[in-house]
Amino acid sequence: MSSPSRTSILHLYGSMLRASRSFTSYNFRQYFIRRTRSTFRQLQNESDAERIKAFYDNGLRELEVLRRSAIVNSLYGGRRLVVERSDAEEKIELERGDN
Amino acid sequence: MLSRTRSVARPLARSTPKTSQACAVCLGRRRFVSTSSTDRANIVDLPFGRNGLPHGLLTPRSDMLGFKLDIPRHLQDGKSPQPIYLDMQATTPVDPRVLDAMLPYYTDQYGNPHSRTHAYGWEAEKAVDEARQHVADLIGASDAKDIIFTSGATETNNMAIKGVARFHRDKKKHIITLQTEHKCVLDSCRKLQEEGFDVTYLPVKPSGLVDLVELENAIRPDTSLVSIMAVNNETGVIQPLREIGAIVRKHRGVYFHTDAAQALGKIKLDVNEMNIDLMSMSGHKIYGPKGIGAAYVRRRPRVRLEPIINGGGQERGLRSGTLPSVLVVGMGEACRIARQEMLADHEHVSALARRLIDGIAAKVEHVVRNGDPDGYPGCVNLSFAYVEGESLLMALKDVALSSGSACTSASLEPSYVLRALGAAEDMAHSSLRFGMGRFTTEAEVDFVVKRIVAVVNRLREMSPLWEMVQEGIDISTIDWSQSQH
Repeated sequence: MSSPSRTSILHLYGSMLRASRSFTSYNFRQYFIRRTRSTFRQLQNESDAERIKAFYDNGLRELEVLRRSAIVNSLYGGRRLVVERSDAEEKIELERGDN
Repeated sequence: MLSRTRSVARPLARSTPKTSQACAVCLGRRRFVSTSSTDRANIVDLPFGRNGLPHGLLTPRSDMLGFKLDIPRHLQDGKSPQPIYLDMQATTPVDPRVLDAMLPYYTDQYGNPHSRTHAYGWEAEKAVDEARQHVADLIGASDAKDIIFTSGATETNNMAIKGVARFHRDKKKHIITLQTEHKCVLDSCRKLQEEGFDVTYLPVKPSGLVDLVELENAIRPDTSLVSIMAVNNETGVIQPLREIGAIVRKHRGVYFHTDAAQALGKIKLDVNEMNIDLMSMSGHKIYGPKGIGAAYVRRRPRVRLEPIINGGGQERGLRSGTLPSVLVVGMGEACRIARQEMLADHEHVSALARRLIDGIAAKVEHVVRNGDPDGYPGCVNLSFAYVEGESLLMALKDVALSSGSACTSASLEPSYVLRALGAAEDMAHSSLRFGMGRFTTEAEVDFVVKRIVAVVNRLREMSPLWEMVQEGIDISTIDWSQSQH
């Protein structure tokens, strides 16, 4: 089989980013977005067709894993973290203090 | 007064079935007393505590010392935000990819991996074998059969230390370990001392590293085991395993065990290059499930040990009992991902550690980093002088941190690891351990830095010691005893 085309790789990138964004837990979401970006950036410098093919096949499998994981995460996870608070809430908290 | 009304009210309350309804109305309005005319006087049975206040709502707890009337968080608002998790040495979140690999074994593929007579058993066995291979690949073991699954690093440490020592008890009576080891290693050694073994607890240098000359001198003809951990759980210090392995290998009949619970998947480990004979690993420190760990037990040259758990002879007879195939699969997948992500994770964690240390050092003075700065960057142990560590933790309610090991986090004793490094008592008391990992973000680190700076400065403003330091008084020279008065 020939190596995947540029459009199909870009399509995979878009799907993986979308799947990563669908995680409800802040830490998982941020991690998978960061990881998807960095791995595809590495791929940009790759010229070996064999390795691009391996990466693509692996990516397709991983996409399925991410999609399923995001569903499970949305069922049981997604508690909001303090860093996700808006600036307004943060200001109230700081003004009120805690002691 | 109260008792008199009660004695009147009790028969009344019993006779009226409306009581519970009235109670509900009262609770809804949060009113404890309602006025009514004397002829219809009625006291409802409120859920009062002995002191006349509802349980948990407004009762001051004894530890508040009258300072703070705190309404429990879950009552304040339904979805109060969660604190930031910076305690990755205690445990790590399960990677979603690991959970995804595990779920099929919690649903359809529930077979016993030791069942040889049907397909359910075969598929479970196949999964366990694959997981074993992933673990072996991560530590560079030449054969997957060298890996024995256990319940965790504590069990593995017990198995390795007691097992080797007891097997060779007729000829060898001596074990060497470090003062900064994890509690389960130290406690296993203590147990062996009771059984008549001789244990040397080697001191460490101020950096937390073992002195290799002292180690070599401590090895005796009757030494059976040297147990030195790879990465310290409190300071992140990485011991020179390669050098230790070379020293131990020079002495025939001495085995080298390392507790790699904090090192696995975070730094490169190779049991053959480092001449490691036994290694302890844990699943939940590498984004895997809790309740699973593994032992590496070298087969060539063969390391012989006496099993702690006897039974059906699973896991080469070293650890009998049905394997939890789900957890094994989880640990295997965690190891596979760790191997794949190790470089990227290490880079990410190093950048976060730099950000944290620089951020705090830029705004707070008198901060000391405990342990070797070249240790594992995901574990940063800082001491904030003139601030009490526990009060720092109490004030940092938005950050999940620990002052040391989770096993000792309930006690107010200073960490024995920091004491072994030669830290003064006050500095050991004021330490915080920041554990960062794969899922920690830069925004979280920035948030933590902001909070730490604010809290440390506020606590120091309240501290008379800090005032004296600002005035240039050297606190260590003060005689605090009252005898002169």
